[in-house]
Amino acid sequence: MRVEHSFKAMGGPCRIRLDAEDESMARSAISAAVAEVERLESKFSRYREDSLTARINRAAGSGEPIPVDAETVALLNYADTAWRESAGLFDLTSGVLRRAWDFKSGCLPHADALNALLPLVDWSLVRWQEGAVSLAREGMEIDFGGCVKEYAADSAAAKLREHGAACALVDLAGDMAATGAPAGQAGWPIGIRHPLEREQAIANVSLSGGGLASSGDYERCMLIEGERYGHILHPHTGWPVRGLIAVSILAPQCLVAGSSATIAMLKPAEEALGWLQELGLPWFAIDRQLSCHGNIAAG
Amino acid sequence: MAAYDKTGKKQDERNATLLALTSSALLLPAYQAAQADAPPEYTELGIRYSKYAEDDIPGRRAFGGGSERYDIDVAQFHLLAPVADSWSVALDVQWEDMSGASPWFVGESPNGDPKVIMSGASIEDSRTEVSVTTRYYFDRGNAGFNYTNSEEDDYDSDAFSLDGSFNSADGMRTYSAAISASDDQIEPTQGSVPTNTLKDSKDIRSAWVGVSQIISKRAIVRFGLSYTYREGFLTDPYKSRDNRPDEREEWTLGAGYRRFFEDHDAALHVDYRYFDDDWDVTSHTLDVAWYQNLSNDIQLVPFARYYTQDAAEFFDVVADTSQEYYADDYRLSTFGAFTYGLRGNKTIGNWTLNATAERYKSDEAYGLYSGDDAPGLVDFWRYSVGVNYVFK
Repeated sequence: MRVEHSFKAMGGPCRIRLDAEDESMARSAISAAVAEVERLESKFSRYREDSLTARINRAAGSGEPIPVDAETVALLNYADTAWRESAGLFDLTSGVLRRAWDFKSGCLPHADALNALLPLVDWSLVRWQEGAVSLAREGMEIDFGGCVKEYAADSAAAKLREHGAACALVDLAGDMAATGAPAGQAGWPIGIRHPLEREQAIANVSLSGGGLASSGDYERCMLIEGERYGHILHPHTGWPVRGLIAVSILAPQCLVAGSSATIAMLKPAEEALGWLQELGLPWFAIDRQLSCHGNIAAG
Repeated sequence: MAAYDKTGKKQDERNATLLALTSSALLLPAYQAAQADAPPEYTELGIRYSKYAEDDIPGRRAFGGGSERYDIDVAQFHLLAPVADSWSVALDVQWEDMSGASPWFVGESPNGDPKVIMSGASIEDSRTEVSVTTRYYFDRGNAGFNYTNSEEDDYDSDAFSLDGSFNSADGMRTYSAAISASDDQIEPTQGSVPTNTLKDSKDIRSAWVGVSQIISKRAIVRFGLSYTYREGFLTDPYKSRDNRPDEREEWTLGAGYRRFFEDHDAALHVDYRYFDDDWDVTSHTLDVAWYQNLSNDIQLVPFARYYTQDAAEFFDVVADTSQEYYADDYRLSTFGAFTYGLRGNKTIGNWTLNATAERYKSDEAYGLYSGDDAPGLVDFWRYSVGVNYVFK
């Protein structure tokens, strides 16, 4: 039997599907997975006053290190690897740039406002050692949003496995992690959305383990004098990037899929396509001319 | 439709960025717990042949000129299989065929040099060891039970052990412990040399605790402490001038460091061990190995070991049989030893071929402790070849 549970977390709609013979096992596995997502959200959300992230951000520039646990250190180490591997494109301190951009207003930001924020975007000013982290400059912010949703999908899937689930799919607002395939199928069938026609799938994949993550620039953008400004901001210039408009990646970990998709979105389109090809994971991308690329077939 | 398993797996191993991201991600707790303590996914089968060959003892160190020493041929069989969801069972069988000569006692030559009297190329023995291990895996650890029986013409041993390991909630630290007990019966073969007992027994009890800690995304450290208590007939029955206490307490302290180098796709393993016992034997062991992954699924492992020990309090190059306890066994003398070798693995589909060659050289002059040179000190070569198969 299939047990489904929909809930809201990490700023979007989430759903867990689980095939099992024993419904009470399925329910308790799902409860544990939802609790895991909630644990990570309350720990890392920058919107919650009492979160670890909020405490780290409040102490920015004070010189006071905030004690963190091993999980946070491992996540910082991971973000550091992604930052180095992307030559500084993947930067969890770039969230402050949003202060200058109001995509609802239809107005471009003032150059002064943007220039004042750029010095606050610098991953090398995040220091962590011996279980404590600090941001070296006042006004800096760290935002784990760039990786924690994907990590939560993996961690929720791990919780399902721990509770005996052999066949389940975690979907945290588009970031997915699977464990096992439904009976008689190669994996969980997942449609990758068309960037313009939201209800239509532009490509199909099947997931029987590992994760799928997508990054897109077709939502939350503004048109000014015919020019399209997306919400993905380049950490070095503060301006929207003009690369691919959608990337989906499959990887053994949703976390790795997600950060790889983010890095691809931040690169110029041609460079991104070459980088994705070399990365060696299954991928699908759409460029600004709506052409499809990648080793996952469209259609 | 794209199948996730078919597309990227091979390249997965090649791209440096993907390797860096993946190895860094895998240190997060979500992947640790799931990976650390699951039973093996597939059944594995392995066989191996090894040859252990001691160098001849030179004429200047032995009465009656140079002599051949010990050779051992070893055949091993290994089976590991998952059982149900959270159990595994392993069966290991080892056959050894030993032949050659070993030091009988050390005497003084007319010019005062100590020289070995060898037993003569007369020893022939074979040993069969059967070991069964069953292991249970749970969320944050595993526990195992082992029974081993070893039989020789002159020796019979039954040993039991229990071990367990437990991971911290974040998966960064693992605590381990083990206890074991063995009951050994000795009945020396008569005929080649006079033996110093006809029948005897000994018991061995030991306990071990250890902890390992992930200290960065590329490095792990581990520490261990063990205690062993031996009681019974601890004398070598085939040595003429050998009489040892019937109790021995041993302590071992160990530390290890593992570091992965992404740029080289290689790992460094360094291990140190300190040993001390109430026979006054103290030793230090330093192991260094470099695990180099190459293309075409080949792994090469050059390794080296340095060992140094201080003699047992009752050891003399020429045993003083007027004492309560005495021995001239070179294994209880002051010496140092170097081992160096190369191991290689090659995976082809479900098969893995492996081969090892190593050289061991010991000498009183290699040691950190000063003492007298035991003429029986041994040098040897060891070679092995094996093949493993995974049913997947």
